[in-house]
Amino acid sequence: MNNKIFAVVAFTVAIALAAVTQLVPNEYFFSAAYTVLLFVILATAWNILGGYTGYVNFGSAAFFAIGAYTTVFFYNAFKAPLAVGIVAGTLVAGLAGLGLGYLTLRLRGVFFAIASLALSVVLYIFIVNWDYVGGARGAYVLQPRDVPFGLPRYIHLIYAVQLVMAAFALVVARAIEKSTLGRGLAAIRDDELAAECSGVPTLKLKIFSTMVSCALMGMAGTTFPYYLSYIEPSSAFSLSYAVNSIAMPLIGGMMSWMGPLIGAVLLGSVQQLVQVTVSSAWNLLIVGVLLVLFVTLAPNGIMGWVDVWRRRRER
Amino acid sequence: MLGNSVLTALTRAALFIGLALTGTALAQQPLKIGFGMSLTGPLAGNGKAALIAMQIWAEDVNAKGGLLGRKVELVYYDDQTNPSTVPGLYSKLLDVDKVDLVVSGYGTAVIAPAMPLMMQRNMAFMTLFGLNVNSKFKYDRYFQIMPAGPDPAVDWTRGYFEAAMALNPKPSTVALVGADAEYPHLALEGARAHVKRLGLKVVYDKTYPPNTVDYSPIVRAIQATNPDLVYLASYPPDSAGMVRAANEVGLKTRMFGGGLVGPQFAALKTQLGPLLNGVINYEAYAPDINRKFPFLDQFLAKYQGRAVKEGVDPLGFYLPPYAYAMMQVLEQAIKATGGLDQAKLADYMHTYEFDTFVGKVRFAKNGEWSVPRMLTVQYHGIGGNDLEQWMKPGHVTVLYPSEYKTGSVKAPYHENKK
Repeated sequence: MNNKIFAVVAFTVAIALAAVTQLVPNEYFFSAAYTVLLFVILATAWNILGGYTGYVNFGSAAFFAIGAYTTVFFYNAFKAPLAVGIVAGTLVAGLAGLGLGYLTLRLRGVFFAIASLALSVVLYIFIVNWDYVGGARGAYVLQPRDVPFGLPRYIHLIYAVQLVMAAFALVVARAIEKSTLGRGLAAIRDDELAAECSGVPTLKLKIFSTMVSCALMGMAGTTFPYYLSYIEPSSAFSLSYAVNSIAMPLIGGMMSWMGPLIGAVLLGSVQQLVQVTVSSAWNLLIVGVLLVLFVTLAPNGIMGWVDVWRRRRER
Repeated sequence: MLGNSVLTALTRAALFIGLALTGTALAQQPLKIGFGMSLTGPLAGNGKAALIAMQIWAEDVNAKGGLLGRKVELVYYDDQTNPSTVPGLYSKLLDVDKVDLVVSGYGTAVIAPAMPLMMQRNMAFMTLFGLNVNSKFKYDRYFQIMPAGPDPAVDWTRGYFEAAMALNPKPSTVALVGADAEYPHLALEGARAHVKRLGLKVVYDKTYPPNTVDYSPIVRAIQATNPDLVYLASYPPDSAGMVRAANEVGLKTRMFGGGLVGPQFAALKTQLGPLLNGVINYEAYAPDINRKFPFLDQFLAKYQGRAVKEGVDPLGFYLPPYAYAMMQVLEQAIKATGGLDQAKLADYMHTYEFDTFVGKVRFAKNGEWSVPRMLTVQYHGIGGNDLEQWMKPGHVTVLYPSEYKTGSVKAPYHENKK
């Protein structure tokens, strides 16, 4: 399937799922789906750098927060609508990713991971001390009373927007994976020195993948202030975003665009279910147990399993 | 003719029986009150204590036959002290669990995310210890049980500065210090308003990161400015750190404290013990004024037994009585309006005064207490780290408000250490 056909299919599915807003009266479904979709975007975004390129980014929460706080900034400054926040948040996070790339991509392995975590801390302190976007006290972003497109509630709009953004993230991830660029990234992941010697422009490709990855993470955060109506640094920079955006591709599989999607839907749904049935305290335990199980039994995630099964069948 | 009348009578009888059965079924259905509560995460200790208080209330009400002839059932989920879980939990409560009423979890961060849904559904929303949440939403069915007063930012710090201005000679300089977090920033904003009103000179006005480890440099920097007053707004870890540092450095000032979160709870009271001598702070209740709260002992007796078993705050002076009082407000409004009509409940709560375990409660237009009633106190005469001493009168002087006052400030602060 070429990229254009895939894009048409992805957006058609997203719009079809958005039409559910007219059929399901239960708002809980949309809140839960919003959270799962948020993780689909984050995991897909993380995988472009972490999975395709092999650079582990612990700063997902920072880029997510950049998207969220860009929305807050434009809301405070101009009362700008959600669409402006989405475009601006994605661009600002992309630029921040570019900066991170230039500053840190000469580092490798654990050193890059530590640098990305440090960036998260620096940004956290910056936001805490920036009173215009609420600083340590937090900021309020009020949902508009009139919901566009004839949707009954604002949560329906945010859910629909999140669906389209998730489809966009998957289209971008798949396009990268299937392109020459994707093969270059795979070469970097397998052996960066060999890739460089073979003529792969490693620094350029790494910076590009960091920028795209961070832009998508920022995009995931842009709707968050409207979803919550109140945002403060400790929730925007929560470690759970960083942990989940790594755990989900790891469980789903890091070699293809489908892995983060499967991981996020599976783990996100289980977390949502457990939260209202067993106990919230089990959430992190479940993530931990699944991680240990997958790392030991299926290091290439669910998609790795599927590949092995397919190969066995072909034989 | 006869056939018709028999048919009519039979129809009426069937209708009557049907109605009676429906009525019985409704009466048997529990009245569900839903909420999210922090049972894990950083505020779990307080959340669990509040939950115990709310469960005691439900048991008390059910022992008296329930509300509107129905047993009360609390439906709650753990919000993990994570605001992002709140919209989902409250939509589940309303759409899936079909609760009749909702109340909030503990604190601003989990109250605010529930507000849009409450406003969409026009729910009367009784909330627990949120700071100035309604200043942005301006929702006319919002109510808040913490006695911070109609202008929380300013009223919260009023007691400290009223007590300070009663000193002789009057103080002229002040140091303002607090953590980079939501509550300290709001408290410091209020403190600055009072400083401006009273014409005090600010000689130090800085915040510090909440995860600071060594507080001595901060206290030394404050001491270098030699302020008459030091106003501190802090969360439990830094409250402990700042109090320890003030003792280690030997801070010399006339008043120290004001807005420390933490010493209200047994954990910090016993941990700091004598180090708290001389510290000024806010409290919701003190055994020294128990005659002003004639029914609170009944509640505390029930609460303290359970709290020890469940490993939460064994004193229960701060949050639990207000969690109970929040439910009492709801109970009295339901009884008075005779139903669950949200508009009628909100109207009633705006109009009438409520008699609760924490005293008489009346709400202002913005849903906050119409008159601030948080106590400003000074700790003194603390001899060790045992909990027993805090359960009896004699270690807390109430400085403000005047109707609860039991004494005046003992200044300077460092003289209280002797």
